[in-house]
Amino acid sequence: MNPPDNGVASFQPVHRPDGSATYTCPLTGFNVLGAVNAPIELPARRDALKPEEATLEVFVKPATSSPAVGERYVEGILRNLLGAIILGREKGFPRRGVVLTLAVLEGGDSKATGRGSSYLTLLPALLHTALLALLSASVPMSMYFTTTIIAVTPSGEIICKPSIKDADEAASVHVLAFSSKGHLLLTESEGSFDFDTWEKVHDRALTICHLPEEASAGNGKVEYAVGSTWQKWLAESVEDYIGFKYAYEFA
Amino acid sequence: MVPSAATPSLSLPPAQFASLQPHAYLLAHLSPPALSNQPSIRANGRSPSQFRATSANAGSLTHANGSAVVRLGDTAAVCGVRAEILHTDDIASWSVSSSTGAGNKRRKLSGEDPEDPEESQIQDLNLLVPNLSLSTGCAPGFIPGAPPSALAQSLSHQLLTLLHTSRLVRTDDLRIWYDVPDLEGAGQETGEAMDVDVVDKESSLKQPRKREIKAFWVLYIDVMIVSLAGNVLDAAWAAVLAALRDTKLPRAWWDVDAESVLCSNRVDEARSLLLRGLPVCSSFCVFEADAAAGWRAVVLPTSIEMEQNKQQQRWILADPDGYEEGLTQERMCIVLDKDQSGNPVIVRMEKNGGWTVGKEDLRQLVDVSAQRWEEMKTVLKW
Repeated sequence: MNPPDNGVASFQPVHRPDGSATYTCPLTGFNVLGAVNAPIELPARRDALKPEEATLEVFVKPATSSPAVGERYVEGILRNLLGAIILGREKGFPRRGVVLTLAVLEGGDSKATGRGSSYLTLLPALLHTALLALLSASVPMSMYFTTTIIAVTPSGEIICKPSIKDADEAASVHVLAFSSKGHLLLTESEGSFDFDTWEKVHDRALTICHLPEEASAGNGKVEYAVGSTWQKWLAESVEDYIGFKYAYEFA
Repeated sequence: MVPSAATPSLSLPPAQFASLQPHAYLLAHLSPPALSNQPSIRANGRSPSQFRATSANAGSLTHANGSAVVRLGDTAAVCGVRAEILHTDDIASWSVSSSTGAGNKRRKLSGEDPEDPEESQIQDLNLLVPNLSLSTGCAPGFIPGAPPSALAQSLSHQLLTLLHTSRLVRTDDLRIWYDVPDLEGAGQETGEAMDVDVVDKESSLKQPRKREIKAFWVLYIDVMIVSLAGNVLDAAWAAVLAALRDTKLPRAWWDVDAESVLCSNRVDEARSLLLRGLPVCSSFCVFEADAAAGWRAVVLPTSIEMEQNKQQQRWILADPDGYEEGLTQERMCIVLDKDQSGNPVIVRMEKNGGWTVGKEDLRQLVDVSAQRWEEMKTVLKW
């Protein structure tokens, strides 16, 4: 059902956590399993918890090694991004925890998670898995997001679907995330580039990630634009899952 | 008129107001009443795009190869660079990788110095080892005996990736060579290590002398945050820059008889590193007037609606101090260098944690960062 170029998602592959999802990134080949427990009590450090909202904890487990400083860094990125969109003050959430665990099952090249290497190629897969797992656990969010990776070659050519090899050879690599309402939520760019290049990358990424406004502004019923954006893919994946899970309701 | 003791005043001293109602306090400074004719200014007296006074002092530690102390307002970072020797015999994959010469060329820059084909050795062999420690007592939350916090770990990683992506240090500066002596004249019987069978005269004239890498310098770059008052990354990175610029490596060579690397103890033979460019890191945060910025059960305006009505009150604050960092979620970080003709080249750009900053704001921030580059150039005496 999913378009093959937008990755493969499955919901609830594991049953013990409140919500879980696996996702295979079509670009980089990373396969990530995400699990969410929310809201749960975090008994260990009650005094460190914020009294007015939920504490978000993210753990990333790489495919072949044990977690190290690079994982701490990418956990920080995920925590900042998700912390801005999760409604941690909903009833039942304050003083409790949202615990997100992401495990890279397989993927790409083992070099991509080496010491001191850039985490950008793995980031889109982690972000999409995190979102799907949070959706699966029914964690309230103010909006959702879609993300993509774009590489720019030394000659200035923009590659929208870079493989890991492309990203290695590129002059600059960019990961951008857009909210479901078209805000720029995240940009992580590395390499050597000028602002005009980034602007082109931004505009390209926006068309890949986000539905045009007029297309989504139907009355209650979402109408899709031509072409497959990440947003369309995400909506369809979730629709399929809900259709499957609540089949008895619709029957 | 001083209020008398009989009528207790309902006003609070500023320091109390600041700790009781931090958000309202900063907001009152940034949006003064229209009648008062006061400029919008931050609680710390700076304008929104103003950085704190920065000072750098190189060569502060005597036992390190290079060192620097950088102060950014009340944030102080000490950085020491220690060079140690890594023999190629101790590199497990050395014989394989050097014979095939397989090194993927990363991040080629056009129009620069002739590319070193083995430039990626810095990354492949981990020749740069930065570490950042948030020392006990640098800020109230740091207790003795605790393991490195997630913040310190992620900052260490950021320093390392910045060193790699900016390609600041040249691999060639870190190589220790062995000039294989030309044994042709001395007679064939002593040509022990020469794999080259017979070198005829013409090629030996044309060819430079055969050289072999025998060891590498590994630079241990330790950053210690003595005092933490916001914006750690800018201070730490500036300290790394200043310390690397101060670093002097002694002349080292391979001694065949001793079968080890020897170093000269003469100061005039030591050489500095030739650094590529000056990537300067500038951080920003966004302060939102809406006190409940983290709590948005209401339907958010779309990006297009946000552009149409600029009612959304928010300020982009450069170089946030600790007080401001506690009140903001959205962060931006731009690492920028300038090429020979003075055009800004972005090495890294990050934005995370919110949705109020768009494309146009980032363009302005790049301009602010370019100005900051000029400031830092004079501060670091580059």
